[in-house]
Amino acid sequence: MSTIITTHSLTKSYGDRTVVDGLDLRVPEGCVYGFVGPNGAGKSTTMKMLLSLVRPTRGEVRVMGRRMDRSTRRELLGSIGSLIETPPAYAHLTGAENMRLVQRLLRLGDGRVDRAVRTVRLQDHLDKRVRAYSLGMKQRLGIAMALAREPRLLVLDEPANGLDPAGIDEMRHLIKRLADDGITVMVSSHLLDEVDRTATVLGILGGGRLLFQGTRDELFSRSVPDVLIDTSEPERAAAATEPWGGTLDEGTVRVPGLDHPATAEVVARLVDARVDVYGVRREDRSLEDVFMDLTRGRGL
Amino acid sequence: MGSVRAEFIKLRRSLSWAVVVLLPLAAVGSGGGNTALSGEPLADGWHTLWLRVVVFYGLFPLAVGVAALASLVWRAEHEGGNRNALMARPVSGLEVAVGKFAALAALTAAMQGVLVAGTVVAGKAVYGLPGSLPAEYLLVSVLIVVACLPVAALQSGLSMLMRSFGAPVAVGLLGAGFGVLLVALRADALAAAVPYSLLSRATQVGTGVFADPGPITAEGAADAAGLAAAALVLTAVAVAGTAAVLERRDVA
Ligand SMILES: Nc1ncnc2c1ncn2[C@@H]1O[C@H](COP(=O)(O)OP(=O)(O)OP(=O)(O)O)[C@@H](O)[C@H]1O
Ligand SMILES: [Mg+2]
Repeated sequence: MSTIITTHSLTKSYGDRTVVDGLDLRVPEGCVYGFVGPNGAGKSTTMKMLLSLVRPTRGEVRVMGRRMDRSTRRELLGSIGSLIETPPAYAHLTGAENMRLVQRLLRLGDGRVDRAVRTVRLQDHLDKRVRAYSLGMKQRLGIAMALAREPRLLVLDEPANGLDPAGIDEMRHLIKRLADDGITVMVSSHLLDEVDRTATVLGILGGGRLLFQGTRDELFSRSVPDVLIDTSEPERAAAATEPWGGTLDEGTVRVPGLDHPATAEVVARLVDARVDVYGVRREDRSLEDVFMDLTRGRGL
Repeated sequence: MGSVRAEFIKLRRSLSWAVVVLLPLAAVGSGGGNTALSGEPLADGWHTLWLRVVVFYGLFPLAVGVAALASLVWRAEHEGGNRNALMARPVSGLEVAVGKFAALAALTAAMQGVLVAGTVVAGKAVYGLPGSLPAEYLLVSVLIVVACLPVAALQSGLSMLMRSFGAPVAVGLLGAGFGVLLVALRADALAAAVPYSLLSRATQVGTGVFADPGPITAEGAADAAGLAAAALVLTAVAVAGTAAVLERRDVA
């Protein structure tokens, strides 16, 4: 599979603060790329560099095989739709006028505009002024404005931010539909949960660094859930497993970061210490827990 | 150009039209009104009325009005994600700058149209002047619009840079003061390079105020042509400068 976005040590500093630090992104063509990180991680700044809205301090961006910079941005942006931070649109105009404006600006045919509006299901709200739109409608209009140019790549920065659960679900479906049409969608969020079901590839950003890049399954498999051990004497068991980092957690001993052989060793140690072992299990972890561990700097 | 057509769509229901209508009407009202209140007749008919309306208007209200229009046409671009969207389209900085400038030029021309219409109505209805505004003032009006263009282009650049509505307008006011000073001091060479001076100077053509020799002669017509040429050069420089800054600057 070819990659549609590649970056090499992409870095942005403001003063002496590095807010995006040496990113090597690989976004495969045709995928939904979930770009996830907590507030301030550098998602928007990265996306702005992908679009050449902000120039990198160091490193480079390649989109569709070409270097993206101020001299190439015009040609490349014809195939990239985007929505960065807050949705655009002129509030004093109606939805239809906003679409017409994009149409005139980019000299697009009527068909494209109609298709874009239908894709985001906004056709019944076009005559209202944008001022009177709900946030969800503004987001959809913004996406329609980006879609009208029929891009190969769509860069969406937190499109679900501020939406209610129904709106978030609708946004998920929209992204799925776009991907089914063959558009590569890069979508950011500060909640893994929001994108993990739609994204086929995840990039996790924390403190400006890329902490993980790969599939959801790879993310799961690379993280080792804690081992929980129920015993007859929790205190003694905790003391016995201390060399492995065992701690007492509500009457259960919790040991982090154990692989299979290490788990066997720990159990043997407890048996030697004549502690009755009732049960050994792995903690149930959601992807969200994995994400939290990652972004809190605990690593995988 | 697509960007020009797009900018004209943005002017719908824009507050700009209020400035276009109200500012020149206020100038007609205050210039003509003073005369009506004092009870003195207009010594030289249409010429006197024009002088009272337009010369004061050209000292600073016009430049401030153009500055306010520039702030208004850029205001929406500073809201929400509009700046990001504007610069993330396959459109060059030059197209964006020309689009904004074209919208401003149209608004400025419309504003001058309102001023002329208002003056004619005041002349006929309030003072019962015979005939109509002399045709030479229609030509002067064209010159005034041309002289507004570099101010519009410069203010457009300032409003592109500054998020604030008031700051560029304040710059426009200071610029107007400086411009008038240069005209009053007859620093002609310097004035030809200062957009605000050109604007002021254009509003005085044919009135005999400040540097103006009064009734338009062949020599005066040559001066006016020079003024228009200087205005067009400054306009091109300001639009090109705005385009270059747009092309280079990061979207914050
Ligand atoms: N123009 C700027 N000047 C200085 N600092 C900036 C600028 N833009 C962004 N930053 C800083 O860079 C960091 C990353 O910001 P960015 O907006 O990219 O994060 P984000 O991941 O999009 O966060 P959020 O989830 O809140 O949108 C933040 O600490 C922010 O304060
Ligand atoms: Mg952000």
